[in-house]
This record gives sequence, C-alpha cells and structure tokens, in this order.
Amino acid sequence: MLAYRDGDAGAFDTLYARHKGALYRFVLRSVRERGLAEELYQEVWMRVIEARARYTVQAKFTTWLYTIAHHRLADHWRKRGLKLVELEDHDAPAPRADEPQARAEGRQSLQRFAAALAALPEAQREAFLLHEESGMSVAEIAAATGVGEEAAKSRVRYALARLREAMADG
Amino acid sequence: MADPDRDVGVSERYRALGREEPPPELDAAILAAARRRRARWAVPVSIAAVVVLAVGVTLRVQIEERKDAEQIALSPQVMQAPVPADELARQARRDAAPARAPAASPPPAALESRVRAAQEAPASRAQAAPEALVGARKREAPAEAAADRAAPAGRASASVAVGKISAAPQTPEQWLERIAKLREAGKAREADTSLAEFKKRYPDYKISEAMRARVAPR
Repeated sequence: MLAYRDGDAGAFDTLYARHKGALYRFVLRSVRERGLAEELYQEVWMRVIEARARYTVQAKFTTWLYTIAHHRLADHWRKRGLKLVELEDHDAPAPRADEPQARAEGRQSLQRFAAALAALPEAQREAFLLHEESGMSVAEIAAATGVGEEAAKSRVRYALARLREAMADG
Repeated sequence: MADPDRDVGVSERYRALGREEPPPELDAAILAAARRRRARWAVPVSIAAVVVLAVGVTLRVQIEERKDAEQIALSPQVMQAPVPADELARQARRDAAPARAPAASPPPAALESRVRAAQEAPASRAQAAPEALVGARKREAPAEAAADRAAPAGRASASVAVGKISAAPQTPEQWLERIAKLREAGKAREADTSLAEFKKRYPDYKISEAMRARVAPR
C-alpha cells in the first residue's frame, strides 16, 4: 500500500490480487446477495483507492482493509435494518431419487451449514468470516470491528458453537 | 501452536462452501479506477509542463527579436537612413552641453548636409521614418557595447559612425549664436577664432544682417 501511495501503480495490482477473493467472500457471505455484494465490494476498494494519500502504517494492511469493509457493511445494515434469518426458515431440499445416499447427505449437510452460517447474528458471522477468510487473530478482529478483544473472542466462539451444532445435526 | 479459537472441522466445512471470486469485469473496473486516480495526478503536472514550455518559447522569441533589432541598429543601411529634423535637433542640443569633449565639437560636413536635407525634407517623409530606426537609436549605447565586445569589422565601423552622429554638435545657426554670445561676453579672440573656423567650414553660408552685426568683429 505504501508503494501504491508513493506512485507505484503496479503495487495496487499485487495488493488487489492478494486480498480480492477473501474480501469478496467476506462481503458476499455477509449480505448473501450477489449483486449487492459486488456493489459493496467495489465501494470498499474505491475507499481504499481514495484513502491512499492518507495511508500510514498503523496496523497490518489486512486490518485496515477489513476495517473499511466493516464500516461499509455497518452503513448498509443501518440503512436496511438488521434482519436475521432463522435456521428453521431454511428447509433443506429433498434428495433427488437417482442421487447416491452418501452424496445426498453430504450436500444436505453443507446446506445446513450454510444456513447456520447465514442465521448467525451479524456480529458473530462477521467475526467468524474475518477469522476464516482473512486469517485475522481475535485481537485483529477486535481492532477491525471496534470492539474489545473479549467481545471479539466471545463472538468467534459463539459462532463456532452454532456451526458445530449444525454439523452435528447432519 | 494450535489456535484455540479455530475449529478444524468447522473450517473444512466452511471451505467446502466454495471459493467464490469476484467476476473479472469487476476486477477490471477496480483496477482501472486505481489507475485513473493515478492519472489525475498526472494532469496538473502535464499542464504545468505545458505552461513552462510556452513561457520559455515566448521569452526565447522576445530575446531573438531584441537581437534582431540591435543588428538593424548597427547595419550600414540604417546608418544612412534619413533622420527626422527634430531628432537631429535633439542630438545637437545634447552635444552643445559644456561637458562635451572638445574633439566632438566640430560638425562633420557629411552630417551638415544630412541636417539640411532633413530640414528641407517634406514633413511626410520625416513622419515616415522607419520605426525601427527610432528603436535602434534608443538602443544605441547597448549596440555600441555589443559591437565593441564582438568587434567584427563591419560592426566596428558602424560603431564609429554612430559615435560621429552622436557627437554632431550643432547647426550653423547654433554655431553663429554661440559666436554672438562670445562676442557679447567680450571674448573677442575666441569669437574671432570661431568665426574664422566657421567661414572655412561654410564658405558659402548666407546670414542675415542682424546676425552679421552680432558676430562680426567690432
């Protein structure tokens, strides 16, 4: 980022290639709507580009990037209102007749997991996705989301417990 | 050391959901935006470069024009160009100043004939004197200095000619007036000497009775 700020246009390409997949999935699985996710994802990168002149090394770039993403998502949730989707609302589709039993069970198990993830409270899902996609530590998640480390740790652990339950149900 | 906040089973199941990537057109749009922002920095720099270049060219052209004007001032054609009567009169007044060196006082015959020609010339001709000449005369001193530095043969001779013109002291009338003043001041010997010199210089010059009374020996 420092190289990009100082005029190296190619440095942004490297930075983007390194973070694009994880950030995209973080946004996509947060809002669960592809068109909206692409819009928000692009806005996050635009903010990175706009803020490059003011960029100083105060934390890892990853933390800074996901702090921007967190604020953008928070704006989005504020506008729409937080809308939780209950696990029970997501009925798994029945297996097709010609599908092998094990494969069908695996597919259903994955769908339950996805539904459980989607059903997590927003703050817990965000903490879990940051943990999984960006590889951030609890301390870094706390910094990016503006909460204390204990709160961040609690969110991660609660999310993991709900997801384990969903896996055990399968 | 294992991360106590990471569950391998949950992580594996999460990975199984898929590894979605942003569509290529979105990548392209973001990368293009990053480059566009950089290009915005380049625009003011380009404008500044063009302005500096334009100012440089303008200054260069002005310097070249000035050099051309100086060369015109030193060229023999300009030296031979007709000079307006009032310009010559101004020169004569300057030269009549007492601080002038004695060697510069006697007017050369060639200059005298030019003075007469200028006085007899129609007004329109005087007005039509090239502007370049006026400009050249204004720059007479720098032109002489430049000629002295460079010292090519043509310029050196032109410089001498300029010196003679600027040293041209007076018209015959002014000369006579000066003799009359000497006479009035009681400087008879100086008046006689100057009158004799005047007669040698202008043997056929006609003067009025009144002037004759003032300058003739008493």
